[in-house]
Amino acid sequence: MKRILARNAPGYLFLSPWLLGFFLLALGPILASLYLSFTRYDMVSDPRWIGWGNYEYMFTRDRRFWKALEVTFTYVAFAVPLRLAFALAVAMLLDKGLKTIGLYRAIFYLPSLLGASIAIAILWRELFSATGVVNQMLALVGIEGTDWITNPKTSIYTLVMLAVWQFGSPMLIFLAGLRGIPKDLYEAAEIDGTPRWRRFTRITLPLLAPVIFFNLVLQTIDAFKTFSSAFIISNGTGAPADSLLFFTVYLFNEAFKFFRMGYASALAWVLLIIIGVFTALAFLSSKYWVHYDNDRD
Amino acid sequence: MTKLTRRTLLGTMGVAAAATALPRLPAMAADRTIRHFWWGNPNRDKRTFDVIAAFQKKHPDIEVSGETIGWGDYWTKMATQTAGRNMADLVQMDYRYLFEYTRRGALKPLDEYIGKTLMIEDFDQGPISGGKVDGQLYALNIGSNSQVVTYNTRLIKEAGVEFDPINWTHEDFARVCEAVTKASGGKIKGCDDLSVYIEDAEAWIRQRGNEFYDADGNVSATVDDMSTYWQHWADLRAKEIIVGKERTLTLDEALAERGIIKGDAAMSAIWSNQVVGTQALMQDEVGAAMLPHLKDGKPGQFIKPSMFMSLSRDAKDVDAAIAYMNDWVNDPEITAILGLERGIPCSAKVREALAPNLSPVEQLTMTYFNAIQDKVAPLPLPAPKGAGEVRDSFRRTASEVILGNMSAADAATMFIEDAQSIVERAR
Amino acid sequence: MTTTATDLEKAMAFDEAARVAHELRVKQDQRNRRARYLKHLFLILVSVVMLYPLFWLVASSLKPETQIFGSLSLWPEEFHFDNYTRGWNALPISFTVFYMNSAIVTLLSVVGNLISCSFAAYAFARLQFTGRTIWFALMMMTLMIPYHVVLIPQYVQFLKLGWVDTYLPLVVPKFLASDAFFIFLMVQFFRQLPRELDEAAMIDGCSPFKIYWAIILPLSLPAMGTAAIFSLIWVWEDFLAPLIYLNDIKSYTVPLALRLFLDQEGESAYGQMFAMSVLSLVPVVIFFVAFQKLIVRGIATSGMK
Repeated sequence: MKRILARNAPGYLFLSPWLLGFFLLALGPILASLYLSFTRYDMVSDPRWIGWGNYEYMFTRDRRFWKALEVTFTYVAFAVPLRLAFALAVAMLLDKGLKTIGLYRAIFYLPSLLGASIAIAILWRELFSATGVVNQMLALVGIEGTDWITNPKTSIYTLVMLAVWQFGSPMLIFLAGLRGIPKDLYEAAEIDGTPRWRRFTRITLPLLAPVIFFNLVLQTIDAFKTFSSAFIISNGTGAPADSLLFFTVYLFNEAFKFFRMGYASALAWVLLIIIGVFTALAFLSSKYWVHYDNDRD
Repeated sequence: MTKLTRRTLLGTMGVAAAATALPRLPAMAADRTIRHFWWGNPNRDKRTFDVIAAFQKKHPDIEVSGETIGWGDYWTKMATQTAGRNMADLVQMDYRYLFEYTRRGALKPLDEYIGKTLMIEDFDQGPISGGKVDGQLYALNIGSNSQVVTYNTRLIKEAGVEFDPINWTHEDFARVCEAVTKASGGKIKGCDDLSVYIEDAEAWIRQRGNEFYDADGNVSATVDDMSTYWQHWADLRAKEIIVGKERTLTLDEALAERGIIKGDAAMSAIWSNQVVGTQALMQDEVGAAMLPHLKDGKPGQFIKPSMFMSLSRDAKDVDAAIAYMNDWVNDPEITAILGLERGIPCSAKVREALAPNLSPVEQLTMTYFNAIQDKVAPLPLPAPKGAGEVRDSFRRTASEVILGNMSAADAATMFIEDAQSIVERAR
Repeated sequence: MTTTATDLEKAMAFDEAARVAHELRVKQDQRNRRARYLKHLFLILVSVVMLYPLFWLVASSLKPETQIFGSLSLWPEEFHFDNYTRGWNALPISFTVFYMNSAIVTLLSVVGNLISCSFAAYAFARLQFTGRTIWFALMMMTLMIPYHVVLIPQYVQFLKLGWVDTYLPLVVPKFLASDAFFIFLMVQFFRQLPRELDEAAMIDGCSPFKIYWAIILPLSLPAMGTAAIFSLIWVWEDFLAPLIYLNDIKSYTVPLALRLFLDQEGESAYGQMFAMSVLSLVPVVIFFVAFQKLIVRGIATSGMK
């Protein structure tokens, strides 16, 4: 008994702030939303229990639910890999002893500071409009552009571009990770004449794996939950023709615009399960490609 | 270095902790408190806080706490407070949300106070009745408005086209669009594409002698009503005399996105209380016209309350709240501070008192408002629950027509079905 | 003789080798220089793309209201600084107050985040205890739930505590490690540190707290710096929680105040809003430039190990 206590005490002591927060602040609302997902709840009157009704409607009769899934999955499939690749590439460029590194780092982070503000929405619409800067640039190389944002076939890619353009946070995390790789490893490899590509695959990737894993998981979760950018650029509606109907935008409108908090909660739990499955897969796969220093021997 | 930062940090923490931990002390003088929550902008916020100050001077025993945020965030916060049973005593209401909140029981009726503490009997009854739901008054009209087709006077003059802004028809409208487009060599179009606005479609339906919703809250607009409307706009679009799809499809409420302000159209449809805001974003002078009429048709456009003040179900000191409400629409000092910013007041007395001090744009609004009085139809019947969602569905379907994915007729069939199923689901 | 011959040959071969090596080095230097130029060129190009919106924002903030939307030109015809001077006092409460409020909330939150999240991360990454995996999974779950559906239950909860219209709902959760992002971030970095360090310290009789304080934290400065930067920026820019929990305009934070400028349906003060948006970035940028040194300092520490 005493031994169990002694073994567990430090862990639980350090975890206690989080445990307190989890039980006192986080758990209640999460369970409440689970309960509400089985009710009809308009936020004004009391919730009314309807069993699986919301879920049934979602899967059998709600066309926009499937549309929202399609939009969100497309976004995740493009935005996550592109953003991560770009962030990693730039982080590696910046990592190698440029004197002006601080300046570049600050500049590259600026777009992320602007976040998803109204200013960005206005700007993005101007940039990608039929006569916007993007099309002017494309015209220089002889490509005729379209009205990127209002064309339902292309609008989602302007949001992918926005995500890539705001690559600041994964870049910073990659940079911090690269700092943790001992420089002498590279020096030794260089003396041995290891080619650059092999240095990347043999040293950088394995040692950066925990950070890559973190960014992958977090960026995927974030991408599934993307809200602000889609909301402001589509004026909160998912327009044009529902091509920007991200899952959370749909959910928000169901809850706060159409007074269906119960249904929105059900949507949220479906999204939670989807994200949960992807995260679990990532964690399972990590056994094969993420090795921590302390597991090495 | 580290020591210093740590000490300064701890110092700041101590001060801040003390500041946050302090409970909010109610002001000593007032023993009654009411909360007033509205959506606004810098101008409106300044005016409203001035009103609160003026009111408190007259009623030192009542403290009014003013709470404000922009339109987009207002409804999220309102829903949250409603769910938490912590609504402000007095909330600003919009026509679109009135029925949603009232029918769900979030507001208290005002009828019992009329003539006793709420003196609104001599007000224009038409605009006042806009706050009635199922026979009871749930919302006090604090300003009226109506649709306006604002036009850029310079562009119209340059196009050398003339029209009667009050009595023009859809044919006149097309003629003006054509003239403007031609005069500018196609760079500037006649008007925004109004096929995405349900309010303008509703005027069209009423000009044809029908209504959008019937008394039972069913969709009574017909497929023919809708397909003629969308076809009308499809024809204008085909002639390229209204703004193109690249501008229309994400166009929503934001005033700044309208063609007249962007400068790529001579006309845009807005509400009359937005004329002042439109002028503020433009260099050229604006004019105001009615929605075009249907030749030999019925009046379609209507005057509606632009903003309401409502008593919430969570209001505790109802008497104090009603006193504030009453001063809001009657007190000369307070109504003078408010001006026309929230819309045209329903009290003839107040309007008279305001008249001498209006700015040129306000003057334009007032003149327009007086001119349309006998050209408008009565207010439509209250919309059923789900009307907000029908509005979204309307915009989506209209977008399909604009994109060329659907004919006006197919879209009309789909929309009418969709709208009916939405109101049924919301019941 | 033979020896001298071989010596000579050796010497000649050595010279030859040196010459070839020298040529190689020169070539490599040239290549390196060219690579460096290319790298700079690429980075500058990217910088232009990155900075364009900021230029646009600043330019818009200097234009009079009537020119922001009508004209497409980036350069204002004339510079209007009164968007800044008037914007600062455009609302019933001056921006000085909003900045103070934001500063208080942000400082407390960053401190709370760093302390509580590093505690939890240390437990997850370095300590053994029963239920670790389950707690970790639950923590990850709090990251995944769409926050809009927990908004109302959370509000009701804080209302019952009597915390609405104070800063407590914004700050207290931060001291209770509510943001799992930072826990997970720190876990990933802590796990990379060599385990022998803890073991050696343990044998020397160090307590877990001592290990956390004297070994883990100092070795994780890049991670802590990153967490500090993110946490500051996110809290500084957060507007949803202040929107829901703050009623009194005197207690509004900067992002919430920025929302007061826009009325989609009526008059909006875009120029002033842009001007104040630009100003609101200043503290964050300063903090960023100051704190990124911490990430750089990571080189020295990782060199040590």
